[in-house]
Amino acid sequence: MNLIKQKLTELDPDLLFAVILSLCVFSFFAFSNPLFFTLNAGFSIMERFAVLGLVGLALTTLNAGFSIMERFAVLGLVGLALTLCIIAGEIDLSIGSNAALSAVIVVRLTDSMGAFPAIGIGVLCATLIGLAQGYLIAYLKVRAIVLTVGTLMLLRGVALFAADEKTVMLTDFRMTDFIQEKIWIFFSPASLLVILLFITVGVFIKYTKYGREIYAIGGARKEAIASGVNLKRPMMIVFALSGFCAGMGGAIIGLRSGTAQPLALQYLLLAATVAAFIGGVNILGGKGSVIGAAVGVLTVNFLNTGLVYNVTPSYVVQIYLGVLLLIVIVFQTLSILYDKGKQRRLLLHDTALTKQKMIDAYKSVLK
Amino acid sequence: MSALEYSTSMSSGWLAKKITKENRVGFAILVVISIAFIYFAIATPNYLSVFNVKTIIRDAAIVGIMGIGLTFVTLSGNFFLLSMKETAALSIIVFAMGMSNDYGFIFSMLGAMSIAVLAGAFQGILIGLGGNPIIVTLGAAGILYGVASWWSDNLVIFFKRPHDAEWLGTGMVLGVPTITISFVIFAIIAELVLRKTSFGRQVYLVGANRAAGKATGHENLPMAIKTCIIASACCAFAAIAFSAQMSSAQANYFSSEFGSSGDLTILVIATVMVAGNSIMGGYGSVLRTSLGAVFISATDNLMVLQGFNSGARVLSVGLMIVLSILIFAYVRRDSRSEG
Repeated sequence: MNLIKQKLTELDPDLLFAVILSLCVFSFFAFSNPLFFTLNAGFSIMERFAVLGLVGLALTTLNAGFSIMERFAVLGLVGLALTLCIIAGEIDLSIGSNAALSAVIVVRLTDSMGAFPAIGIGVLCATLIGLAQGYLIAYLKVRAIVLTVGTLMLLRGVALFAADEKTVMLTDFRMTDFIQEKIWIFFSPASLLVILLFITVGVFIKYTKYGREIYAIGGARKEAIASGVNLKRPMMIVFALSGFCAGMGGAIIGLRSGTAQPLALQYLLLAATVAAFIGGVNILGGKGSVIGAAVGVLTVNFLNTGLVYNVTPSYVVQIYLGVLLLIVIVFQTLSILYDKGKQRRLLLHDTALTKQKMIDAYKSVLK
Repeated sequence: MSALEYSTSMSSGWLAKKITKENRVGFAILVVISIAFIYFAIATPNYLSVFNVKTIIRDAAIVGIMGIGLTFVTLSGNFFLLSMKETAALSIIVFAMGMSNDYGFIFSMLGAMSIAVLAGAFQGILIGLGGNPIIVTLGAAGILYGVASWWSDNLVIFFKRPHDAEWLGTGMVLGVPTITISFVIFAIIAELVLRKTSFGRQVYLVGANRAAGKATGHENLPMAIKTCIIASACCAFAAIAFSAQMSSAQANYFSSEFGSSGDLTILVIATVMVAGNSIMGGYGSVLRTSLGAVFISATDNLMVLQGFNSGARVLSVGLMIVLSILIFAYVRRDSRSEG
C-alpha cells in the first residue's frame, strides 16, 4: 500500500497530464462518432488501449495493429528527435527540411545503387548536417532556433537542388516493397527499427553519462558548464541524433511511397512538436522521457485516425493539432507561473519570519 | 587637446574604430559580398535600369511590410512569430470574403485587420505569460491556417475587377506603385515610433534587458501583446495589398511557393535577420529590416535575370540567413555570456 502511495507521489505530473489529455481526446472521438461503437470499433478501441500502454492486449486485430505501428514509425522518429532537442533546452526547426532532403537523396539513389546503400547515404547526410548544426550552436553560443530557422531554408534549397525542382520517383516500385513487409503479424522492418531506436535512445539518455549530460544542459546549463560539462559534446550528440531521426523518417516516407517532393514534409514539425509536448517535455528543458514521446506520438496518431473516421479534410487536422498544442502550452505556462508564485510566497514567508526573529532578538538585547 | 584636433582625430579614426580585431572577418566577408554583388549587377544587362529597380522595390514591399511588423517583436526580445504567413492567409480570406460580398473596401479591411489583431493579441498574451514564442506561434499557425482553409473550403475566392481596392493593388501615384509608397510610409512611421516615442524606447529596453525592464515597471506581457498586434496588423495589411493586386484570395497563397523563395514566413524572418538585427532583441532598427528586404529582393531579381531556377534562389536566401547568423554571432561571440 505504501509502495503504491510512494509511486503515486513520484509520478510525473506532466506525464499524468499527457495521459489524461490523451484520454480526453479518445473519449471525445468515441462519443462524438457513432462509428466507434459499430463493428469497426475494434480498431479504435485498440488504439485507445495502445496509448494507455496496453499494447500487447490491444493489438488483437491484426491489420489495425500493423497500421498503428506503420504510422508510429515515421511520426515516432521525428517526435523522438524533437523530444531530445527540447530535453536539451533547444528546438530544431529544420527537422522537416532535413527529412525532405534525405527523402530526395534516398529516392534518387535507390534506382542506381539499391535501397540499403541509398538509405545509408541519405541518413549519413542528415546526421552530418545535424552534427554540424550542433557544433555551430555550441561553438557560436547562439540559440538553436536562430540557426535552425536559417538551415530550414538552406536545406530546402539544397533539396530543391538535389531534386532538380521536380518530384523524384522510383522507376521500379517493387524495389522498396520490403520496407512494408509484415514481420510477426504487427511489425514491418521500419517499425521494428523505430522501436529498437526508441529502446536504445531511452537506455542511452537514462543510463549513460553522455545521456545525463543532455538533461543537465537542458535543465541547468550554467550549472552544468560550471561543473565541467563540455557544451559541445551533448549538443552535438543531440543534434546528430535529431538529424539521424529526421533523415531516417524521410527515408522511410520516401521509400514507402516511392516518391519524394523537395518542398513537402512541412507538417512534420507541427505534428512532432505536439507529440513531444503531449509527451511531457518542458520548454525550459531538462524534462521529458522516451516513454512520454511514445505516448505523445500515439496520441497524435489517434487524433489523426479519429479525424479520418469523422471524414475531416486534412487542413482541419491542423486546427485540432494547434488547439491541442496550445492547451498543453497554457497548462505548462500556468504551472510555471504557479511554481513561481509559490516560491515567492515561501520567500516572503521566510523573510517575514527572519524579520520577526531579528525583532525578537533586538528586543531581548534591549531588555 | 583642442576641440578641432579632437574632431579631426575622430573623423580619421572612424573606419579604423569600426573595424576592430573581432569583426575583421565579418567585414572581409561583407566586402567580398558587396564586390561580387556590384560586379554581377553591372555585368547583368537591364539590371540597373530604372524600371528594374522599381520592380525590385515593389517586390520587396509585401515581405518588407511584414518584416517591419516582425522587427518590433524581434526587438522586444520575443524572437519571431512562426505564424506570419498564416495570419496573412486568414486576413486575405476575410478581406476577399468581404469584397466578394460587396461590403466595400473599408469594411473588408477593417474585418481583416480586426481578425489579425485578435490573433496577434491572443498569441501575445500566451507569449507574455511565459510561453515560448516559437511553440505558441507554431500552434497558432496551425489553427489560423486551418480556420482559413476551412472557412473558404480551400477554394479560390474571386471578386470582380472594377472594385474599390484597385488603388492599393495595381494603382500608381506619380508613376510609383502604391504598394511601394506604403512600404516606405510604413518604414518611416515605424522608424519614428521606435526612435522618438517612449513606446519605442520601451521596446528596446525590454528586448535588451528583460530583468531591467521588469525592475522599472515594463513587464513583457503588455509589450508582447502590443508587438504581436503590430506584427499581425502588418501581416493583414500585406495580405490586403496582395489580394487587391490579385483580385482573388486563397488560403495557400502564402504557402510554400510564394513568389520564388520558398516559405513566406521564413522569408520574412530572413529580411529581419540578414541586415543584422539582433535576434535576441534590443539591437537593430526598421531601416535594417527594410534594407534587408530590398537586398533579398535585389539578389533574387539578379538571379532571375541570370537564369537561375528556384532551387538556387531558395538556396541563396538560406545561405544569406545562415551566413548573417554566423558572422554576427562570431562578431558578438565574446560580448555576451549566454546566446
